[in-house]
Amino acid sequence: MKLNRRTFIKGLGAGTAGCAFATLPGSIAALGTTELQGSAESVASICEMCSTRCPISARVVKGKNVSILGNKKAKSFGGAVCARGGAGHSQLYDKQRIVKPLKRIGERGEGKWAEIEWDEAYSIIAKNLNKIKADYGAESVAFSSKSGSLAGHLFHLAKAYGSPNTFTHASTCPAGYVIAAKAMFGDKISRDLSNAKYIINFGHNLYEGINMSETRGMMNAQMEQGAKLVVFEPRFSIVADKADEWYAIKPGTDVAVALAICNTLIKDDLYDKAFVAQYVSGFEAFAEEVEQYTPEWAESISDVPAEDIRRITHEYAAAAPHALVDFGHRSSFTTEEFEMRRALYAANVLIGNIERKGGLYFGKKAPNYNKFAGEKAAPTLSKPGVANMPKIDAKRIDMVDEQYSLLWSEGGMYQSILDASLDAVPYQLHGWVMSRTNPMQTLTDRARIVKAMQKLDFIVACDIYISESAAYADIFLPESTYLERDEEISDKSGKNPVYYVRQRVVETIGDTKPSWLIWKEVADKLGQGEFFPWDNMETLQLFQVDKDVALLNHIKRDGWVSYGKPLMLREPSMVKDFIATYPNAKTPDSDNTYASHLSFKTPTGKIELSSDKVEGIAPGRGVIKFREVSMKKADELYFIQGKVAVHTNAGTQNVPMLANLMSDNALWIHPVTAKLLNIQSGDAIRIYNATGSEDGHALVTPGIRPDTVFAYMGCGSKNKELARATGKGVHCGNLLPDVKSPVTGMCLHTTGVKIAKI
Amino acid sequence: MTKRYVLVHDENKCIGCQACNVACRSENNVPESVTRLQVRIEGPYGNFPHLHFKYNRVSCEQCEDAPCVKVCPTGAAYVNDDGIVSINEGKCVGCLYCVAACPYKVRFINPETKAPDKCDFCKESRLARGEDPACVSVCPTQALTFGDANDVNSEVSKLLDTKLNYQHKVNLGTKPRVYRIPSRKGGINV
Repeated sequence: MKLNRRTFIKGLGAGTAGCAFATLPGSIAALGTTELQGSAESVASICEMCSTRCPISARVVKGKNVSILGNKKAKSFGGAVCARGGAGHSQLYDKQRIVKPLKRIGERGEGKWAEIEWDEAYSIIAKNLNKIKADYGAESVAFSSKSGSLAGHLFHLAKAYGSPNTFTHASTCPAGYVIAAKAMFGDKISRDLSNAKYIINFGHNLYEGINMSETRGMMNAQMEQGAKLVVFEPRFSIVADKADEWYAIKPGTDVAVALAICNTLIKDDLYDKAFVAQYVSGFEAFAEEVEQYTPEWAESISDVPAEDIRRITHEYAAAAPHALVDFGHRSSFTTEEFEMRRALYAANVLIGNIERKGGLYFGKKAPNYNKFAGEKAAPTLSKPGVANMPKIDAKRIDMVDEQYSLLWSEGGMYQSILDASLDAVPYQLHGWVMSRTNPMQTLTDRARIVKAMQKLDFIVACDIYISESAAYADIFLPESTYLERDEEISDKSGKNPVYYVRQRVVETIGDTKPSWLIWKEVADKLGQGEFFPWDNMETLQLFQVDKDVALLNHIKRDGWVSYGKPLMLREPSMVKDFIATYPNAKTPDSDNTYASHLSFKTPTGKIELSSDKVEGIAPGRGVIKFREVSMKKADELYFIQGKVAVHTNAGTQNVPMLANLMSDNALWIHPVTAKLLNIQSGDAIRIYNATGSEDGHALVTPGIRPDTVFAYMGCGSKNKELARATGKGVHCGNLLPDVKSPVTGMCLHTTGVKIAKI
Repeated sequence: MTKRYVLVHDENKCIGCQACNVACRSENNVPESVTRLQVRIEGPYGNFPHLHFKYNRVSCEQCEDAPCVKVCPTGAAYVNDDGIVSINEGKCVGCLYCVAACPYKVRFINPETKAPDKCDFCKESRLARGEDPACVSVCPTQALTFGDANDVNSEVSKLLDTKLNYQHKVNLGTKPRVYRIPSRKGGINV
């Protein structure tokens, strides 16, 4: 060999290349890799690296790699993908991904697994589930899944099996704002950030918890339209940095500031009286209640100066109706989420921004849109119904208190699985089937979840990695990743109807299956195959489009099909465009809007600023009210968490490219606090409270309140199967107490901790 | 007229999300241990609560007067006709002079090819197909603009003509072609 300087350098580093950990059964590393087979032409599909589900365009490059870009047909997404979306291929052929069914052969959570065939896995599942059903009743098995199109297939299995106990992650993240919207508006509502001239944001960190169209919309409003952004957040996040004004609000006191904004709007006569008169019920009771919530009062609670609250409210009202108070996303800041999210909505209602540009609006799905258009402007999708489903008499395990009734049909209260498993409240659970969900990280009180899982008779987990929760399963079912799956057409309607669809980009790697097929085959084995009458995904898709093959092909080819013009019922320019497009459109009101057609699915048909229905299910809560909460002991620091742009909660820590970007979460501590505790950046520290104790390291930064510490959530996995994530950083779920917030049923992500240098 | 490709990074729009970093790594098969491009979120600077972050794009600056090219003994580091500082791996003898000479510390030895590597605006893949570099294409907040500054009608020309901008280490006379629009909060800190 000719030795020159470059080949010498070539030799360096070769010694470390062979270093590898013990091979995990069922992993790609164990089963060997094959060349990627798939389309070299771009395929339009839907990302699944987080739950935003952005439209993507993906293709296989030279059999080695998958190029993933945004689908340019989706204008509000701009052809962009975030770091997580771009790293989808890194997850696809990660050597630690599990691509073969596994059976536990050691103790639960011990990490001993054996590869098995699908048929054996199904047989074990059928035997155990049928035995539990015979011994204790089908309701003693809980089914939980991350939300999304395929969750419906698992929940369909639950119904066929006979259990009412289905849960999404709702009560660990978004349910608070959904429940509050249902109580006030009768339905979910969206925010038109891109057209807003003034945005008030309570810690909705859209620049780290990226939701592509909203993130882009807000940046566009800020940079191109000159919108002003005011952020109230205990931490100096990226959204706080991008704000025109940032207030380091005391954790959990957002509701006080929101109520003071409402107080100022009413007291200073800034609210939209005509709107309130026409569309609002319960204004008087609300106005009477908020009279006491002055900015001075809010300052004493939240540390936000009263004069600023007052000034901001005046600026906000001046920008009305093209202004909004963002109602947030992750709604587990305080146990008073229900009041907080309602107060945020109330601040919108008072300026009359509903169905106005830059305000709040309802999704315009095809059936409703077509009624306004007076023609079939957009096709409607059919939903397959299965006849003669078994009748389920058992009550859900979260039906312990009527106050949670708004949540029962919105994902349920995830935490109730723990009470039912450990304390037989309201009855004993015996089994748990979970799909793509990781409660040990996203729920709270990890130790309690471990106990619950140890106590159950039988647990099945379907996932792509052996997550911290899947590590305690008896059977692990490997799901195909989104790049290997076809799914039903999804409705992504915003201001006008939109459809898109997830499609397979590469041939399946290893022995995995899409979960719609997994649950159908489980049903077959359980003897309930009759409830899954479809052969494959194409059958379901064709059913959706009423066998309109041309339509299906159109949606598949473009990957994003948008119909008509954006419509907001009270926005004259939009209504004008709409009428010009559809000659048979409904005749507008005298003010050239569809304002008289705006109605709400509440008992009064109006926006219920105060609600008899809520008073009925949760006495004392009919009117929005401030209640003091205590989330920490006097000698503790507030502990809060948030999202980072390169990870999705706890789902992506083991994806190689993303782990390479960030695999640890230092605890943010203010310099004054750090000095008192004799802590410097990089120091090893212990974070502890009555719930748990975690070791990590410190990041001393002025970007946090002195009475608060912060960590990005999702790190610190404790199971050895996630080799890139395990033991790295602070496990937030291990420090958070198990709590059920009133009405919303939300768990709580703010607590108190003590810190010590170790 | 010859092209003068430049990249403009708007630090107001950048959120440091690393979408560019990942897209670059995917497009150019950049190994895990090294990087052609990253955005460092630096700070926060200032005194609580008057803080700001700096979003610092770290990648080849595409110097018009490139130190890496000057020190290369074999011509492996060269400026292409399109003005992009490029690498001819066949001519490289691995002397590492270029890595040492780069004042921006953005050249590195690729552990797989064993040759120097760095950002080349995706010239052989995306640029050759008439597409923007990967980082520009995926940027969620449209913080990056790429184009020919010799074309007065290009987006980059318009940006450079209308927005306050700066380059890194201009005092060295390297004439970098990465321009930065400073954050309205942070100001210029060269």
